[in-house]
Amino acid sequence: MNRALSRLSLAVLIMFALLLINVNYVQGFEPSSLATKPGNARVFEQQFHYQRGSIIAAGGGGNVTIAESRPAQGSSSNNTGNTTYSRSYPYGSVYAPITGFDSVYGSTGIEQAYNKYLSGTASNLAVHNLVSLLTGKPKQGANVLLTVSAKAQQAAYQGLQNDGGHQAGVVALDPTTGAILAMASTPTFNPNKFTTLNGTKFDQIDKAYLSDPAQPLLNRAINETYPPGSSFKVITGSAGFSTGKYAGPTATIAAPQPLTLPNGNQLNNDGGEQCGDGHPPILEAFYLSCNTAFANIGMKVGGPTLQQYATKFGWNDSTLTIPMQVSASVVPRVTDKSFTALSSIGQFDDQATPLQEAMDAAAIANHGTLMRPYLLQSVQAPDLTTLAKTQPSVLSQAVSSQVAGDMQQMMIAVTQNPAGTAYQTAGPPTVGTLVIAGKTGTAENGLTNTATDDAVFTCFAPASDPKIAVGVIVKGGGFGAAAAAPIAVKIIEAYLGVKQ
Amino acid sequence: MTAISDRPSAARPPADAGVAMPRNRRQTELLMLAFAIVVVLFAYASTGLGLNGKVPAGLAEYGLAFAVLMLVAHFAVRKFAPWADPLLLPLAALLNGLGIVMIYRLQQAGRNGNAGNGGPIQTLSSSATAVQVMYSAIGVAAFIAVLVFIREVRVLQRYTYTLGALGLILIAIPALLPDSMSEVAGTGAKIQISLGGFSIQPEQFGELGLAVFFAGYLVAKRDVLSLAGRRFLGIDLPRGRDLGPVLIAWGASLLVLVFESDIGTSALFFGLFVAMIYIATQRTSWLLIGILLFVFGALLAAKLFSHVGARFTEWLHPFTVANINCVPGPAAHCVSSYQLVQGLYGLGAGGILGSGLGHGQPYITPLVQSDFIMTAFGEELGLTGLMAMLLIFGLMVQRGLRAALAVRDPFAKLLAGGLSFALALQIFIIVGGVTRLIPLTGITTPFLSQGGSSLIAIWAMVALLMRVSDAARRPAPQPIQDEGMTQVVRAG
Repeated sequence: MNRALSRLSLAVLIMFALLLINVNYVQGFEPSSLATKPGNARVFEQQFHYQRGSIIAAGGGGNVTIAESRPAQGSSSNNTGNTTYSRSYPYGSVYAPITGFDSVYGSTGIEQAYNKYLSGTASNLAVHNLVSLLTGKPKQGANVLLTVSAKAQQAAYQGLQNDGGHQAGVVALDPTTGAILAMASTPTFNPNKFTTLNGTKFDQIDKAYLSDPAQPLLNRAINETYPPGSSFKVITGSAGFSTGKYAGPTATIAAPQPLTLPNGNQLNNDGGEQCGDGHPPILEAFYLSCNTAFANIGMKVGGPTLQQYATKFGWNDSTLTIPMQVSASVVPRVTDKSFTALSSIGQFDDQATPLQEAMDAAAIANHGTLMRPYLLQSVQAPDLTTLAKTQPSVLSQAVSSQVAGDMQQMMIAVTQNPAGTAYQTAGPPTVGTLVIAGKTGTAENGLTNTATDDAVFTCFAPASDPKIAVGVIVKGGGFGAAAAAPIAVKIIEAYLGVKQ
Repeated sequence: MTAISDRPSAARPPADAGVAMPRNRRQTELLMLAFAIVVVLFAYASTGLGLNGKVPAGLAEYGLAFAVLMLVAHFAVRKFAPWADPLLLPLAALLNGLGIVMIYRLQQAGRNGNAGNGGPIQTLSSSATAVQVMYSAIGVAAFIAVLVFIREVRVLQRYTYTLGALGLILIAIPALLPDSMSEVAGTGAKIQISLGGFSIQPEQFGELGLAVFFAGYLVAKRDVLSLAGRRFLGIDLPRGRDLGPVLIAWGASLLVLVFESDIGTSALFFGLFVAMIYIATQRTSWLLIGILLFVFGALLAAKLFSHVGARFTEWLHPFTVANINCVPGPAAHCVSSYQLVQGLYGLGAGGILGSGLGHGQPYITPLVQSDFIMTAFGEELGLTGLMAMLLIFGLMVQRGLRAALAVRDPFAKLLAGGLSFALALQIFIIVGGVTRLIPLTGITTPFLSQGGSSLIAIWAMVALLMRVSDAARRPAPQPIQDEGMTQVVRAG
């Protein structure tokens, strides 16, 4: 009987070997695929059982925590195993367009884009997680440090809030690196409302926000486009100089009032005013913001070439991420001369995001080199080691350094020449010795131009050594100089510490 | 000749030393038992720390009670089976202790501020741990009783047919009772007798009775079964009339399947019988016949009975949303795989090292304290812990098979071999089922699952194996040289 028993022992050995191989497969190789299978409540619950990393605004003005995980109410602190954490945003809606929110039903903004770091599942956190496990420390996500400056962001948020309820967006960049210093949108939302662990409550809040006609969840700074108006003359001017069709700011340009377009329509300057002597230097046409002068430049450069230069400034790019997806700002390829004239003064079908406005100014400020805009400064493991860091990179060479110098000179004149469109709001009367270089825009709004104009301002400062570039668009704000420029000025002053 | 063989052997004992007594290994058993107790106590403490950051209250009292219980078992072995295998008791103690710890952990689930599925497991009463400790005590009492009253395994041979009949009756009772008294809530399996809040699953004891019957019957008939017959295609076929008992066992296991909806136990009984007939006859033909009958029976059952076919569907397509969210019913075109996938998700969540005792969410899996308890271990102790526990089971089976190999009495050999194989098969069926190696069929996990019948029966089984190993390892009485021609012959 022993021979049969030996064979049976072999069968038993095979049975146990099969079991061991199978559990190795299930627990060693399958966990990541099991985690994504339907109905896996464990993964869903686990995300609230450890401390998610914080989001920190670290771009100047001290490190400010703008999103953090705290033990939820009713969860005792000595309860190491099953503490439930909930997300909290100490500044409410100030940073909402940046952080987004993290909820039981998913996340948005930075919370979504850098979830793998914040949740601690990134592969370069694996060793750290293992050490935590072995030393008995609770698992913890990594902190994400952003380029956002608390001072600039606060000013941007306040500026938009005080603007009388218009829909508006603003972005501030460091022109030398592309680091995003501030990004605000209004009307906005309070991310704290989404952090409830109660699914039914979440649904109610989500529905209320989604059905609000003001679209508070929309990030207008990067995901909504508006006609850029006269601020587009920065692009038209750059194209005019770069193509060599115009020698420089001192070259004169025909600026009749009105200008009869090839299709017979008449183009007027703002308010039907004369532009200098009707044949001014381009510099003067720029700071007076003469439509007819720049329509002439645009027609001479030609629609396709104009579009080509706009693209160098980052327009027509639907792939840009900061890491959130940025909607493309659009300059269509126009071959019709009359429409080219309109397009070159930021009308017709031109559409821009506030970020694009900031990028236009940043490229000019940074000697024609456009840096790729980004939000992530670095990722910090719970033990404070740096896991990842953004190296600034060049997005494109928009114009030559010489053309950028010419454009800077013209943008300085907008605020420094007493006749400049932004002299009152961004020039010496408001900011004293600080020199801001900018361009206003007032875009006709609505099909029949019945609605109030959109106000646009694109600028950088200090003009001699640019440290910040700002783009503001206020929908229905009226004149760019009056509605948009003061917001940009507040941000610049806050960031540079000129006025408290 | 070589130089080596010319040397006097240094290892040879001096002539006057006498024959050394083989060691009975009871000290080893005590040491291993102490180790098992310490592991269990650490697991208990770790559970408390994991659940609420505190060493659980009553660690000393429970620890002492558990240690005393196991030490009593140890001293019973010293007294009644001094030559028994030294590993079986420590392995049993370790598994039993870990089972209690896991029941305690599951009973505490959600009590301390879990999000979502807060609250205790509804199917687990608040006294579950205490009850399980009590059953363990009864199990150890059964263990001692077997050692005390069955001094030689052979005595059971006298009761071959009595125990066989008793076993069949025990298995058949639930099928004859009304559903309200015999059905395990939520499973559809009619395998228990429940009276006034207490329930026993008689098939657990019936299995022991059947094993004794098979062993006794096969010892008596093995010559006929292994020698008579014709050779066909290189295989020795048994005579038609000798097929009778196989067909009876097959029929009995099918009856369990049909009337009690208990596929796992049905497979276990049939596997036990086929293994024992193979050990008794050493004829491959019996194995082939058994396997063919099993496959035929399984296919037939899958066709005829929807609950058997559903097991296959569940096994093949567990992750479809329709099956996970399935509400079973006569008109439902789906099979509920919720429990299976939640068990697998638990294993996945545990990964290599596990979440740690008290840190996981095993309570999400329905009835995790019963059939799915291994997934709770897998989730909280990880692959590492699960493999360790499988190896403990494997070691236990191996010690049983070793006793079977070593013992001379054919009845004891058959019984120990059959019981060891049945233990291995039971572990294979349930662990393979919950890890989706094979279709899932409900059956208790030895030592670990909540419930008294299974625990008491398995302790009795361990006692039988120890009795067999005691007989196998007991040295023959020393022959007394001076008595001339008298020689002691070891009975076997």
